[in-house]
Amino acid sequence: MISVTPTNANNQQLDLNNLTPAQVALEIKDLNLYYGSKQALYDVSMKIPKGQVTAFIGPSGCGKSTLLRCINRMNDLVDICNIEGEINLHGKNIYDKSVDVASLRRRVGMVFQRPNPFPKSIYENVIYGLRLQGIKDRRTLDDAVERSLRGAALWDEVKDRLHDNAFGLSGGQQQRLVIARAIAIEPEVLLLDEPTSALDPISTLTIEELINDLKSKYTVVIVTHNMQQAARVSDQTAFMYMGELIEYSDTNTLFTTPKMKKTEDYITGRYG
Amino acid sequence: MDNMNLNKHISGQFNAELEGVRNQVMSMGGLVEQQLNDAIDTVHDQNLEIARRVVERDVKVNSLEVSIDEECTRMIAKRQPAASDLRLIIAIIKTIADLERIGDEAKQIAHMVIDNANKTQPPLVSIENMGRNVVKMLHNSLDAFARMDVEAAVKIHESDKRVNREYESVVRELMTFMMEDPRSIPNVLKVLWAARAMERVGDRCKNICEYIIYFVKGKDVRHIGSDNLQSILDE
Repeated sequence: MISVTPTNANNQQLDLNNLTPAQVALEIKDLNLYYGSKQALYDVSMKIPKGQVTAFIGPSGCGKSTLLRCINRMNDLVDICNIEGEINLHGKNIYDKSVDVASLRRRVGMVFQRPNPFPKSIYENVIYGLRLQGIKDRRTLDDAVERSLRGAALWDEVKDRLHDNAFGLSGGQQQRLVIARAIAIEPEVLLLDEPTSALDPISTLTIEELINDLKSKYTVVIVTHNMQQAARVSDQTAFMYMGELIEYSDTNTLFTTPKMKKTEDYITGRYG
Repeated sequence: MDNMNLNKHISGQFNAELEGVRNQVMSMGGLVEQQLNDAIDTVHDQNLEIARRVVERDVKVNSLEVSIDEECTRMIAKRQPAASDLRLIIAIIKTIADLERIGDEAKQIAHMVIDNANKTQPPLVSIENMGRNVVKMLHNSLDAFARMDVEAAVKIHESDKRVNREYESVVRELMTFMMEDPRSIPNVLKVLWAARAMERVGDRCKNICEYIIYFVKGKDVRHIGSDNLQSILDE
């Protein structure tokens, strides 16, 4: 008899439990987070691989956005927020006292739910970060604009009107412009906090396609309420529930044969 | 139905759709079981009327397959099922394909009886016994499917070996007939096809058991042989 062993269609699947240090972009270690006396994250530990898309899913208030915001220290802006544990970006703890938050955020870019372009031209929006770094050379800036807009799949649509106000773009275009702005400074990690929840289905698909292209250069972490979106775009998925990381595995496994009942109930739309 | 949790979805409509399609599968299973049972009865008692009814009723089996398939496609498009819901729908789609083929085998057996009417028969005792065993196997498979019972599925999977052994002994017996009298060959061939049809029913029941295991355990156990089955499940 010929034996046929079922194999995973995606050969490049990483074994999340056995990543070599070079494969890890971010390592979250025993992270606890408190908003005042209320604990929002409980002992979260996970390794996020480099050059892949990792999605956080879970019901509202489960802590997925909070966890995402920890990765570029956005929670520092919240006075009552208290964080214990470590997040290592390529081996170095970002909560170490020696770390400069501004330079950390250059390495870890972020895009939010609602597109938030500045009230400036498309061109100025893209190079905003570069101007802050003091770059003035016209050629460098022009190159960065074209490269970033191409990277965000927006170049062909706006190349003839780079100096128009960014508010004239559609919602989907604005969101891609914001992504272009984030990648103009060439971060290592790109955090996307529900990047398509304010967009129509076609713009959503464009952004999803873009996310797939982005992972060749950046490590992408995405928070989404749309489970099918997580299933479509991500390589790994983490399911969170009430501040705890319940299950973290490769996306194919999580959406077909989840191990935990809570995950199963959530992704199949059951009440627990 | 505890291990299926079909009625726990937030969407009551989805609960109803899944329950509905599951009921349809069960009634299709019941119909196919009756078809097979009748077909095997006719081998024994040569009741041509029942044999013809089996042939006619096969249309109903086919149309049930088409309508369940359609319902499953609709659910996939509308609900984007995941995890156990997805596995259930895939298991259903595959199960009804096998049920439809079992229906075809029953029709084939009935045809054999109709074609063979009023001709001298070689003794068919051993094939009837084999027929009873596959009917039982189908009944148990449907029962296990209704309860999504992995333990039962593993047992039924194992019992296919017995059907295979019976088939081999029928073949040997028929070969003796052929050697003794070459003029018996046309008749023998018809019996052989019927026996072959029954043996295939056993294989299809085995497939259904594999889908049950796939649904419950999320493991694809096709083509690994029943000897390795238990060890895969214990992993």
